[in-house]
Amino acid sequence: MRIASTVTAILTFAITILAGTVSAAPPTPTPQLTPDHVLAAQQPKTKPPAPATKKPPPVPAPPADTGAQAPPPPPERLEIDVSTNTVAVTSAFSGTEIIVFGTVINSRQPSPEAGFYDVVVLVEGHGATSIVRLKSRVGGMWINTQSVRFDNLPLYSAIASSRPLDEIAEPHVLVANVIGFGRARMFPGKHSSNVSIQELDDYKSAAIRLKEKDGLYVRSEYGVIFIGPALFRATVKLPANIPVGPLDARVYLFHEGQLLAAQKASVRLTREGVDRLVYDFAFDHPILYGLLTVTIAILAGFLASVAFRK
Amino acid sequence: MNLYLPIAEMSLNIWLLIGMGAAVGFLSGLFGVGGGFIMTPLLIFIGIPPAVAVGTGSAQIVASSLSGAVAQYRRGNVDIRMGLVLIGGGLIGTIIGVDVVRILRRLGQFDLVVALGYVAFLGIIGTLMLIESSTAIAKVQAGGKSRSRQAHAHGWLDGLPFKMRFRHSKLYTSAIPPIMIGAFVGFLAAIFGIGGGFIVVPALIYILRMPTNIVVGTALFQIVFVTAATTILQSATNQTVDLPLASMLVIGGVVGAQFGATAGERLRGEQLRFWLAALVLLVAIRVGYDLVVQPTELYSITPLVRGLE
Repeated sequence: MRIASTVTAILTFAITILAGTVSAAPPTPTPQLTPDHVLAAQQPKTKPPAPATKKPPPVPAPPADTGAQAPPPPPERLEIDVSTNTVAVTSAFSGTEIIVFGTVINSRQPSPEAGFYDVVVLVEGHGATSIVRLKSRVGGMWINTQSVRFDNLPLYSAIASSRPLDEIAEPHVLVANVIGFGRARMFPGKHSSNVSIQELDDYKSAAIRLKEKDGLYVRSEYGVIFIGPALFRATVKLPANIPVGPLDARVYLFHEGQLLAAQKASVRLTREGVDRLVYDFAFDHPILYGLLTVTIAILAGFLASVAFRK
Repeated sequence: MNLYLPIAEMSLNIWLLIGMGAAVGFLSGLFGVGGGFIMTPLLIFIGIPPAVAVGTGSAQIVASSLSGAVAQYRRGNVDIRMGLVLIGGGLIGTIIGVDVVRILRRLGQFDLVVALGYVAFLGIIGTLMLIESSTAIAKVQAGGKSRSRQAHAHGWLDGLPFKMRFRHSKLYTSAIPPIMIGAFVGFLAAIFGIGGGFIVVPALIYILRMPTNIVVGTALFQIVFVTAATTILQSATNQTVDLPLASMLVIGGVVGAQFGATAGERLRGEQLRFWLAALVLLVAIRVGYDLVVQPTELYSITPLVRGLE
């Protein structure tokens, strides 16, 4: 039902876009991500990043096939939204899916299958310090001997893209825009063991591997689908064990390795119903909550022994 | 049918949880143990965060031990006076244990200490009980008396002061050994997230020489109080008690405990001790195996959440 209504919403949206009125004159400029990200991405791949001048980067060259006489096409922009802005986590919650959809304004793509643009959709939860521990053999036993702390590691992260990330852009572009699991955020925090750079890489890939195993890091390499020359969508799975909190959705538009536009949206995961009551009670009145739990346990114990009395 | 657990932040099948509660409750009623030493590893195995497993498991032990204790009390198998002395010692031990846990966590080797402790305590007690109960069973089969109580065979215990009469247990002994046993168990309960029944039961039998049939009921009586205190403490300091999870385990646990207590009546004391010893050894071997055999995944990841560090 929810998906059906979402599809209707997308179609309505698509029709509006195709009518061409919305894209012509939006009243306010759509907010972009911080200019630094775009700057880093727009540096030509061949040029070394060494000359750190404050000069604005060159405007991306228009595609060759437009002809020398034609004026440069208007730059692309993104408009995005999420199918559900608030996901209720109730006692019946067993994971769900959200759809991130959007449209490329001033799209130069002739058809959905053209592959002119690449789109990357990221949905990330809040970050937390995580400790990655390594076991080694000591006196015949396997025990934790070394550990690395990663501060601000997202507890949940989903990446959907129109094709594999390494085909979309160069690594430095991805790193500059924090596209990829834990990319550019994984520095060893305090209380970490002394590890070499090679070992640190092992810790990083172990962290990502373990998160993927838990279903908290989700990769979907062909998960972004164009359904019109400008309209695209991506289905993102929110697993049942997702940490409850705000989620950020980020969408990046690429063409031939160049970042053209980026856009943000947010999704709220909120506890509702009985689960909210229980959670709030547990954290606001922990001692009473403990007493209540014990009381319930004691009552249940008595009831059972009365019920089974012979 | 799935249920979302707000503190554990995950969704699990209701019947799985009730079934686990019932299975552990059955053992609890049968042997007079809280079942924490099985429940905590089980909860971790199905994916509950360890801190939540320890905190919530204790709530389930309260219910199944109480249900078992009431059933035992009706059969006249609880020595209340002995239970109260054990609880007094237990509270002292719990308070010390909580502090030790904090220190161990800071040192970062809490998991190792718990695993080694499990192997050591469960291994030693399981082996001793296994040897003793098999000898007793062999004696019964040879036609001798099942158990000869040697009322005054424990010379050094008689020399201690603060003598108390435990009419129900037919004992006249110093209050110091039961307080020490209670304190030791309370200490272990706080560290390992268990009720401590598998230590109390043999201690009462072999150190205090209490009659076996009274030991089970008295141990359950004491476990109710120690685990109730632990649950409130865990909730107050760590917020790691998941009420919906505890409720499901409790529902299964109290029913299972009733069947366990009934089944226990059909078994002889030495047979009960034999099977409890086998179960304890099995858990010890399982934990020890994980320590010794190279794991397929050498890395592990733990998010630092509320109050843990």
